[in-house]
Amino acid sequence: MSEPADYLPDRIREQLFHDPRVAEQDLKVDVKEHRVLLGGNVSSIQLRHTITEVAQELLPGYEIVNETTVVPATEPEDEEPVS
Amino acid sequence: MIRIAAVGDLHYGEGSQGILKPGLEHLPDRADLLLLAGDLTRRGKPEEVQVLADELRGVSIPMIAVLGNHDYHSGHEAEVRRLLEGAGVRVLEGEGTTVDLEGVRVGIAGTKGFGGGFRGAHGSDFGEPEMKAFVGHTKMLSNRLARALAGLDADLRIALLHYSPIEGTLEGERLEIYPFLGSYLMAEAVDNAGADLVVHGHAHHGTEKGRTPAGIPVRNVAQPLIRHAYNIYTLNAHREVLAAAAGGIS
Repeated sequence: MSEPADYLPDRIREQLFHDPRVAEQDLKVDVKEHRVLLGGNVSSIQLRHTITEVAQELLPGYEIVNETTVVPATEPEDEEPVS
Repeated sequence: MIRIAAVGDLHYGEGSQGILKPGLEHLPDRADLLLLAGDLTRRGKPEEVQVLADELRGVSIPMIAVLGNHDYHSGHEAEVRRLLEGAGVRVLEGEGTTVDLEGVRVGIAGTKGFGGGFRGAHGSDFGEPEMKAFVGHTKMLSNRLARALAGLDADLRIALLHYSPIEGTLEGERLEIYPFLGSYLMAEAVDNAGADLVVHGHAHHGTEKGRTPAGIPVRNVAQPLIRHAYNIYTLNAHREVLAAAAGGIS
């Protein structure tokens, strides 16, 4: 019995989260026909590449479109007076 | 004026080398204290935290941390803590610590905290053992937070958490997951014990600024939200404390 397509994005999101190479909870996964759209924040370019590879392993034959964003970690420009 | 640098949710893992280090270069010139609000690793692996510890080692200002849910995932939280402390980071869980910053005693009480929800919509420790354990964990940590805060002998007091104590800094997250993002029991603990600032992480899609019901400032410093190596908040000690620190009055 094939898996209804409605559950596929959540299954992939959960598998990506539990894959030790990824372990990223923030990913958004959308599947349209044979195209997987990945979104959300990642901490490094390397992790971004790894996510594409793991998603392709999970869904061979699907086109993986990785639109995740690498979060900058630069120094803040200013400070906030709180009290 | 005390300058507090704070960040959470660094999620260090394979390939994270060097992410934070450039941002730390001028940190000692810009801040007096660094707070780390949990989720320092992706899966709580010692090898993940070692990468971060190597980048933090040598930072010349006091560093205080709590762990987050990710740091507990592999069951190696004691080793994660040990490695951070080896790099000079004081890790708190239900405890407080005080640092002297040029005569101003800054007290920090820290806990990971946990979920449950917010006023009018909080889970109860009732029914299945799993539900009792879930809400019971939040109650226990909130009680410890209140005791740790109340026990601080300090001029300024900060509560350092991973989970959020208020809904205000969750705005932007999906309402359905609020009970997994924090609990008002921590805000109640802070409001009862008193504090000058609350810092937390965990809510990557939330909002930076909020206040507890009693008006204490709360800052969500999840790194994917603040999009900097850290943010800096300044606190002014009470005038008599500053005068004493400067040698003006005793």
